[in-house]
Parts: sequence; structure tokens; C-alpha cells
Amino acid sequence: MIASLPSVRGRRMVRGAAGLAALLAALLAALLAALLAAPVFALNAIRAQGAPAKDYLVFVASESVDRVALIRFGPGGAAVERERYVGWAPTEVAGPHGLAMSPDRQHYFVSTAHGTPFGRLQKYNAATDAAEGSVMLGNFPATAQVSPDGYYVYVVNFNLHGDMVASDVSVVAADAMVEIARIRTCTMPHGSRLSSDGLKHYSACMMDELLVEIDTRTLAVSRHFVLSAGKEKGVQGAPQPRGAVEHATHDMGGHGMDPPKPGDVSCSPTWAQPSRDGTRVWVACNKSSEIVEIDTRSWTLLRRLPAGPGVYNLGTTHDGTRLISTNKRDQSVSVIDVASGKELARVPTTRKVVHGVAVSDDDLYAFISVEGSGSQPGTVDIIDLVTLRKVASVDVGQQAGGIDFWKSEPARR
Amino acid sequence: MRALAFLMVPSLALAQQPAVARINVTPSAPRVVAGETLQLQAEALDAGGRPVPGATIRFQQTAAQFEGAVDDKGLVHAGAVGTIPVAVTAIVQGQKPVIRRVEVAVLPGPAATIVIEPRALKLLAGQSMQVSGHVFSKAGDVRPDAVTWTSAAPAVARAGADGSITAISPGSAVVTAAAGGVKESLRVEVLAANVGSVTLTPSQPQARTGDVIRFRLSVKDAAGKEIEGLSPTWLLAPGHGEIDADGAFVGYDAGRYTVTALLGARSVQTTVTLTPRDVRRPATVVGSVVRTAFPTSEVWVHPNGKVAYLGTHLGGDRVYVLDVADPAKPRIVDSVIVNARMINDVMTSEDGKVMVITREGADNRKNGIVVCTLDDPLHPKPVGEFTDGVTAGVHSAYIYTQPKFGMHVYLTNDGTGALHIVDIGDPAHPRQVGTWKTPRADAGRTLHDIDVRDGLLYASYWNDGLVILDIGSGIKGGSPSNPQLVSQYKYDLNALCKQVEAVGGPGFVRGTHTAWRHKDYVFIADEVFTLADEQLLFNNRPARAYGRLQVLDVSDIAHPRPVAFYEPEYGGVHNVWVAGDTLYMGAYNAGFRAFDISGELRGDLRAQQREIAHVNPSDPKGFIPNSTMTWGVVVKNGLAYVNDFNSGLFIVRIEPRAPVVP
Repeated sequence: MIASLPSVRGRRMVRGAAGLAALLAALLAALLAALLAAPVFALNAIRAQGAPAKDYLVFVASESVDRVALIRFGPGGAAVERERYVGWAPTEVAGPHGLAMSPDRQHYFVSTAHGTPFGRLQKYNAATDAAEGSVMLGNFPATAQVSPDGYYVYVVNFNLHGDMVASDVSVVAADAMVEIARIRTCTMPHGSRLSSDGLKHYSACMMDELLVEIDTRTLAVSRHFVLSAGKEKGVQGAPQPRGAVEHATHDMGGHGMDPPKPGDVSCSPTWAQPSRDGTRVWVACNKSSEIVEIDTRSWTLLRRLPAGPGVYNLGTTHDGTRLISTNKRDQSVSVIDVASGKELARVPTTRKVVHGVAVSDDDLYAFISVEGSGSQPGTVDIIDLVTLRKVASVDVGQQAGGIDFWKSEPARR
Repeated sequence: MRALAFLMVPSLALAQQPAVARINVTPSAPRVVAGETLQLQAEALDAGGRPVPGATIRFQQTAAQFEGAVDDKGLVHAGAVGTIPVAVTAIVQGQKPVIRRVEVAVLPGPAATIVIEPRALKLLAGQSMQVSGHVFSKAGDVRPDAVTWTSAAPAVARAGADGSITAISPGSAVVTAAAGGVKESLRVEVLAANVGSVTLTPSQPQARTGDVIRFRLSVKDAAGKEIEGLSPTWLLAPGHGEIDADGAFVGYDAGRYTVTALLGARSVQTTVTLTPRDVRRPATVVGSVVRTAFPTSEVWVHPNGKVAYLGTHLGGDRVYVLDVADPAKPRIVDSVIVNARMINDVMTSEDGKVMVITREGADNRKNGIVVCTLDDPLHPKPVGEFTDGVTAGVHSAYIYTQPKFGMHVYLTNDGTGALHIVDIGDPAHPRQVGTWKTPRADAGRTLHDIDVRDGLLYASYWNDGLVILDIGSGIKGGSPSNPQLVSQYKYDLNALCKQVEAVGGPGFVRGTHTAWRHKDYVFIADEVFTLADEQLLFNNRPARAYGRLQVLDVSDIAHPRPVAFYEPEYGGVHNVWVAGDTLYMGAYNAGFRAFDISGELRGDLRAQQREIAHVNPSDPKGFIPNSTMTWGVVVKNGLAYVNDFNSGLFIVRIEPRAPVVP
């Protein structure tokens, strides 16, 4: 077994013929063991990089086939444990896009984006997949997150399927599944996250070059931030709504897939990620391939960090030291050291069109959803956050997007 | 102000804050007239009924976005009649939100018009006739008002409280219908009952089931002079058919029918005999191509009749190209792969030189259409695409060429419900020339399918029914760049599909899905599913579709009116095709059906035995094995190219009638 090599290496200190023979024997034994293990080479490769000691469970939504898959990753590798259909008609696509776990890990919520024209937020029991409620929201509900107290689900209404006019963030009472507020923010509100204390909600406005902050105590926009390079500015209050005409020539960049045109220095923000301590918020500038770091106290720019091509979604480790970004135009994931702002590794993904990030509860693994293209399956790649290498991969339904970590548990051997 | 006060409260004080026990909303039974506004008020109260300081109150409309809007302060803007549900939430940081649901009844505006049916009466003394009065608001909303009836000349014609008019003696009377301060009058002419002769003559004494027979009532006075325009009451026995107020009769079963025209004390009867329609024929599947990887969507046959194109659904990114020169041995010879995960529609131009493929689910979310040239129909060549404004996706497309305006493709926009018109005269450089959308609130506007005939475009507008536009017919001066509304036929989908809600619970999918113009009729089909079948679908088991095909008489294009319908006993009605006097249909679970639509159409087409053929396409190797879900059909050279969502393409020939062997 490859895993036994360190002990072999440890015997290199043995001297003399007997020692040499012992060393050769050990090497031969190791080689034989490796050859015998060839059929399970992939599994051994995982173990060589630190096989998980327990099982990790992750939910992922596949937008083109109306399915949510539960992925189990453990010592035996990664596999789809079960799937759940989340659509509404055999000949239409509901388009599950965002996925969010409740803090008590009892429920998961799925935003179905397509609608006619409005999408929905659906609630399921995490243990049984039983449907527990549904509520109609706005146009193309996308990124979703449950507040830390578990009372509310925040969902951005991306409004991809309509005129480019200001859209909103829906707030849903998680128990009753009733939409209690719809907060107008900006055009194409996209990737959004709550601060750890649940008091602030940040969303990126893909077509407005803005970050918008909602005060969750008042359910109103409290501040916004202009993200364009050289024009960075923090502003109190809500942005002025802009009409469809003003966006008529704005290039949506193939939703992060097309490189910026020459001379285009716009940000086209696709994700807002507050730091664990709440002092900073990072915004992925998909077009300019940068991460903008903003001080939440002074509401000023701290840094513009270079990022991977087409940086799209962000996630952080629970200890707050690392930022993980999906690079939509690069078929890769970046792991960034928060303190230095430096990219520690850029890990290739199995397929192109890299989408979301979920981090395990012990910060050892990042789970990356990859949409794929056309008839390719979607994929979840699993990255070891210690070795910074991809250690497993499992195919799911087409256009894998919304992803969230459910729980870890003792390994099923 | 409460919210601001709350923000300044120290956290200790928050912890001691009483919990919200309930929310008091005023008015307690909110009602507002369509077009007006209403301010809701709410207060958070604790268990003792005392106001909870610092509680934030939010109002949020939870449904009925088509009927009005509610802002977060509780101001209701009532747009249309219905019920607007509102969630009123009391929010206190650290506490579970308390929600009170209220429903705002949106009522029709004051009565503005009364429509009386029939519009005029000519009765014989002693005759009675029931009339009806419908009350509408200025916006055209139906009101439930009771109508009172009075006669200005009760000695001539008496008006009953229920709208029954009784002719008493010769003369003229004006009967007035009144409701809510609005009046409408009905002129009643009463003639002496000295009738000499009454005869009733059918347009044909013998016919087949489903044939429309019109009856001519001839009434002559004692002098033998014809009395024109009398309004009889029609009776029918046995009741397996229907007869309209205009005397048009259609029978459903073979046999003898007695039709009676009742004129007070006088009546006249006649009989007609119906024979079986006898159109049933065998159908043979002459060839098929079963697909497993994806469900398959639209089928199209090239004008040369030798090549078929088949779209793919639910993750499908390709159009299969099939050589069907030998229909018994269809085979896939090529495929066009595009950036999409659903190809709902594919169509060629009439000259067979250009093909358009719709795209949804592109990985860069820039959907739209792909335009191909067909120099070699077996190997389409993508040469252009159009995405501007339709990146949300295009579900359906229709290519139509007019000598005056050139070749255009008419597109549905998934995002806005708008119609886009794109010039594809140069296939490599599609160019938008116009757009059109229903003049209504954006919410709920969905355009699903398009059909064009003789310069008139028939748009299946889901919630808004059928919309007819002039794009070059000359009726309204429309053109591709400037479509003009001709008429709209909107109907109550919820009422029509009530059984679906009864079976599958509240909330269901329903809308006007497709349309086809043929002679003086437009066939419109609804797409209907319950929301209760998700587990079946996930487990690859068939989910049931519902739906009705309605036949609209558009001989007066400005006023389409329903005259006939078809509803399968099990299944839906999806796409239709008409060739000659036959209507072909993909009926989802009900498979492939063909109907005789010759002659005038009235009533229930299924009951009157107009169905010619039925095939249930399915295959053990299908995407869902042995499960029929027939999408649509194209007819070419006497063959029906039938696509089944779950199983692929089936080529069906309707055979001649089998000879009866004694």
C-alpha cells in the first residue's frame, strides 16, 4: 500500500547487507502491494492525500433536470446517496438553482428559478426528502441562505428572465413558508450571504456594479458600495433605481462565461461573501477577475485582490483564514489566504462552468459544484483543503449549481 | 418609527421585551374596489393585549400578483377582481416572527353595463321565453348583482322576477333590466297567436353523428303570410346532443331525434335520423426511432419529405437529423449540437432552405435561436444565432414568409412574455424588426406558442388566452415590424380546469398552450398538470396531463367564439396539426389521435365519434419505458410523424377502412 511507504522510508537508516536485503524486501513488498491495489488506485490516491476519517454529506441542485442529489463523501470515495425530484411538470423545467440548509440541519430549501414567470422556494426534510412547504417568490429566485436563528430564508430574485430592471431580495419565514418581505435592491441581484451574526445581508448586483447591504433588523437597504475600479465608493442608503433603457447596452458577459471586451474594466459582481468576523466583505468581480475587499465598519475599499479568470462564487472556511473561489472561465477553483490575499493554489476542476462552494464543518474539504456544458453531467468535485488537491469527483444531474453542506457523521465502511 | 426606536433599544431591554402574541389588523374584513386603494393598519400585541414596543410591522403580498400590489406599509393597489392574500408580520429581533394572514377582497367596480341575451324577442301571445341579464363593471368585470325586470307594457308582455318574459297580447313592450343604477332595455314584439300553420324543416333529414343540422321554422298566419323572426324554445329528445338558440343541432349517438320548436300553445316537431359517423380506421406504425438518452420534443419534416428533425428536452442539447426517405427504416444520420439544455422547437422555412432551433438552458445563459441553412437537408449547417433580448430563452418559433415583407421568424420570449420578430432573410445575420406584448402588467404574461396563417398571427398567451395579431393580412394595417391587435379570446382557465384542482389540490399548471388556424376555425389547446405528481415524475412513472381543445369560430375575426371542444378521457391536449379535413394531435398520456373535422363543428367532438385513429406510442427502451407522453405530430405525404416525449419518433399511417367481411 502506498500509505505504508513512510515506514519503509524509515528503515532506510538500517546499515549492512542484512539491512540492504531487508530494505529491498520491503521495497518489493511495497511495490507488490501497490500493484495488487491497482484496481482501487483512485481510492488509494485519495488516502495518500489524507483520506477522510468520516463521512461528509452535501446537497447539490441540478438546474436542467430538476433534481437535488445528496452526496456522501468518505473513506470509500464520493457517491450519490439519493436524489429527489423538485420540479412540477414532466414537460417543463422548474430549474432548481439555490440550495440552503437550515442551521439545525433538519431542512433544506431549494429555489426553483424558472417559473411562468415566477419561481418558488421549496422546503424539504433533510432526512427524508419529504416536501414541507413551498412559496412563490419573484422572477428567477437564485441564491438562498437561512438566517443563523433559522427564522428566515433570504433569496435573491435574480430576474435573469426579464427586462433589466431593479429586482429584489425576498425574505421568507422559514417555518410558515410565507414571504414576509420583498426588498428592492438593484438589477440582477446575484450571489448573496448573511453576516455570521445574521444582522447584515450582502448581495452583488451583477448589472449595477454594486454591493448592497440590507439591515435585517429593519429589512431595508442600509448601504451600497460602488465596485468599479477607480470609482469605489461607499454610500449610505439604497441605490437609485435605474431603468431598463440604461442597461440596454450593458453586456451581461454570457453570465460570466465571456471574457471582457477590450477596454472593459467593469466588475460585474457575482457574489458577496462577508468574513467570519464580519469586519470585511469580499465581492467577486466576475469580469475583471478580481476580489474586492471592503471594510464593513468604514465602508471603504481595503484591497482589490487578483483572482482566477471569471471568479464567480465565494466561500470561506469556518476559521476565517481561507477564501475559496470558483473560476467560471478557467475550469478551476482558487484557495486564497485571507490575511495575505495570496492565492495558495488553483485546483483544476473536472469540467468547465464551475459554480458553487460548500465547506465541510471541520474545514478539511471544499465541495465544488460544476455545471458542465450541454449534455455533460454536472459534477461535484471535492478538494482537500490541506493538500489543496482534488481528491474525489462525482457526477450528478446536468447543470449542478446550488450546493450546501449538510453534516458529517461516522464513516460507513 | 417603531423600527427606529427599536434600533436604539439596548440589548438587555430587548431581552426583556414582551413577546408578540398576535397582530391586530384593520379593517378586519378588508374590501376594495378594483382600481382603487386601501390602507391596511396593523399593531403587534402581547398576550395581555398591550402593544409591543419596537416591533416592526411588514406587509407582504403573498399571491395574486396579477390582481394587484401591496407595499410594505400596507397600501393596497387593487388592480383586478379577486382576492389578494397579505402576510402581516411582526418582527422583534431574537424572536420568532409572528405572522397574520389577511385576505383583501377586490370587488368589481360599480355596475356600468347590462348585457341581455337574447337581444330582441318576437313572441306569439301566450308564449314564454327566459332571458338573462349579465351585469358588468366599467372594466368589464362580471358583477353578481341581482337584475330586476320590469315591463313598460305589462298588458303586452309581462316580465317575471327571474327574467321570464310572457307574451300577453299583440303589441310592443320595452322590458327593462336594472341593477345598481344601470338599466338596459329589451324590445319585445308580441304577435297575435292566430297562427295558421307551423312547419319545422331540417336542413337534412338524415345525417351522421357530429353533422350540424339547422332547422328552419316557418310560421304562417291564418292568411298564409309568413311570420318572420319568431323566437322559439327548442327541445330535443333524446338528449344525446345539443341544439343552440340559433337552431343548430348536433347529435352524438346514432338514432332518431325529435326536435321541437315551442311557441306557447303551438309547437311543432320533426325528426331527423343520424347514422354512425363511421370514421374509425386502423393505424399502423410503419417505422420508429426510439431514443433513451433524452426525452424528445418537437418534430419537423423537411418540405422534401425525406428528412425529419427531432429536438431533445430535459438536458437535451441536440436536434437529431433523420433520414426518413424510407419511412419503414428511419435512421439518424446527423445531429446539430447547440449550447442548450432544452430544444423545445424546431422548424424549417416553407422553401426548405432555412431551419430555426430554439435554445433554453445554455451554459452561458445566453439563449435564443440558432439559424441553420439546409443546402443539404441531411446535414444542417448553423450559420447564425440571435440572442438580443431573448437570453432568457426561446420556447417556440414560427418561420413565415410574406412576399411583401420577406422571411421572418416569430419568437416567444421566456422572460418577458413578449413576441419578437426577427428578419432571417440573411440567415447568418438575424435582425430584430419588432416586438409586441399584451398590454397588461408584466406579472403573469407568458407567451407559449405561435401560429401564422395568411398574415394573421395566433399567439397562445397562457393566462391571456388567444391573441390574434395582424402582421400583414391587411385587416388592421399590421406588418412584421408593427403588429396590430385584431382580437383576443380570454376564458376562465380556473373554472375550465376545476376538476384538476379537485384531484391534485390547490394550485396547478394551466394555460393556453397552442393554436392552429384552419378555415373559419382556430383550434386552441390548453396545457394542464396538477402539482401533485412530482413523486411519480421523479420515479420515472407517468404523470397525468389534463386539458381541453377548444374550437373557436373566427368567421368574425374580431369576435372569436367557442363552438366545439374535445377532451380526452385520460390525458391532455398538446400540439395539433391539420391536414385536409383531419386534425392530428399529440395528447400526452392519451397518445396520438386523429379526428374528422369535416363540415361545421359544434359540441363535444369526442362524444359525436369524430375520432378516426388512436395510437399509444411507447417503447420498453424509452426514456421512461412503456409510458406514453405524446408531444405532437407533423403530417407529410400521408404519413403522421408522431413524437413521443418518452420514446422518440413514430411514423404512423392511417390505413383505409378495413373491409367488412360478412
